[in-house]
Amino acid sequence: MSAGTLAADITVPFFGALLCVTPAITRPTVQFGVRVPAERTGAPVIRQQRRAYYWRTAAVGVCCTAAVLLVGKHGQWWLTRLILLLEIAADLGCMVLARKKIAAAKQAGDWFAGLRQTVVADTSWRADPPRFPARWLIPALAVTAATVVIGALRDRGNTVAFAGGQLYVTALWTGMLLLVYHSRPDLEAADAAASAARYRRFLAAFARAMLALVALVNLTLLLAALRTWHVYRPSGVGAALPLLPFAAGLILLGAVVVRTGQAGFRLRGGGDRGADTAAGANARTDRDDDRFWKAGLIYVNRDDPALVVGARFGVGWTLNLGNRTSWLVIAAVVAVPAGLAALKAAIGL
Amino acid sequence: MLLTIEPDGPVPIYQQIRDHIVEAIADGVQPAGSPLPSTRQLAVDLGVNFHTVNKSYDILRQEGLLRISRKSGAVVQRDASSGPPDPGWVPDWTARLRTLLAEAAAQGLSAADIVALCQTVIASFAFPGGPDEKEDRS
Repeated sequence: MSAGTLAADITVPFFGALLCVTPAITRPTVQFGVRVPAERTGAPVIRQQRRAYYWRTAAVGVCCTAAVLLVGKHGQWWLTRLILLLEIAADLGCMVLARKKIAAAKQAGDWFAGLRQTVVADTSWRADPPRFPARWLIPALAVTAATVVIGALRDRGNTVAFAGGQLYVTALWTGMLLLVYHSRPDLEAADAAASAARYRRFLAAFARAMLALVALVNLTLLLAALRTWHVYRPSGVGAALPLLPFAAGLILLGAVVVRTGQAGFRLRGGGDRGADTAAGANARTDRDDDRFWKAGLIYVNRDDPALVVGARFGVGWTLNLGNRTSWLVIAAVVAVPAGLAALKAAIGL
Repeated sequence: MLLTIEPDGPVPIYQQIRDHIVEAIADGVQPAGSPLPSTRQLAVDLGVNFHTVNKSYDILRQEGLLRISRKSGAVVQRDASSGPPDPGWVPDWTARLRTLLAEAAAQGLSAADIVALCQTVIASFAFPGGPDEKEDRS
């Protein structure tokens, strides 16, 4: 197996491992997409389903990684992508299975009966909003500029394709992060002030890791361009070289995500966690909003004006498909690369 | 300010938002001149309809507690340090207070208990001049 194949196939074990540990990095009061009260997070059905999920997804990850290693020998790159898709689908299937069991137990036991279901907003989020780390865009833009300069010096026609790809990746993730910075923070009703402080630290760390990943993706594209332009030999270690920055970026983002957890719940500090939950029957709990989450993954709420909300399973954000603007965002994300491809074909690059 | 609402509770959401902001002004968390989020921002943060927050802000504006302008947005208009209220406000408030106290009396609380509870609540408010001022006013 070549070094290039090894680097190309890192996505399968990476996503396998990430999806396997997802329940551990998701907030305890949201189990497999099911909202549960804080005092029920240790329920036997939850412990049982988490164990089953870990074993199932670990088996899926090992099988898919083994399959990729076998397929990689024959150089059929599209098969590895197919295996990645199958791996993600199988892991999400495991998630849906666990979700059904926990949702059934929750309904049977009426877990939210008698609890004060609340939603909390922190107005200081708007009065003193977190600053987008614009300086962290400099490496990504510098790599793009380097691609343009090197392409121009070597008089290569396909510079536009590589630099265009870099600009698209940079613009896409910058735009997504800006949407996130303007969206509502993911706060816990029982621990509002502390969770607001943790969310700020989480957002700062995530945005920096994401922009670092963008810079490393751009570096991957630059190294791919240099290989295409015969600056170095595309064999042996040279074949793997372009994908190494991408792999490093994924590992960095994965480490940040595991350290912070969803909305920063794994971070320390920010106050006495759960102080309100110990206050008895009058304690606040997050609103049971399962009805707005399709399959525990897709948010559809026409009454919620939010465009972007915190992800239900794992770390990140998702669009509110009940908001019409979401469809415009999706259309723009799809239309831009399609338009660039059409333009590329039209001008014969 | 941490603004908490119960979307599925018996009290209308616009009323909960209004009440919470009034309490924040009395507690000194939102003093006169402090800004509030725009109606759109607060609607997004609470996950409620924009018109719901608009209704709360409109009530607060009518009560003289909020000033809304295109330039400066929503700003707290007055607090405990802004002087006495308009003369016509006290009779209306007294009527509402009577209902609230009547609930306590109907539930069997003694007059002494009701007064003690009132003093506890008043003690949590941010009156200008500190505790002595609270005594004078209460």
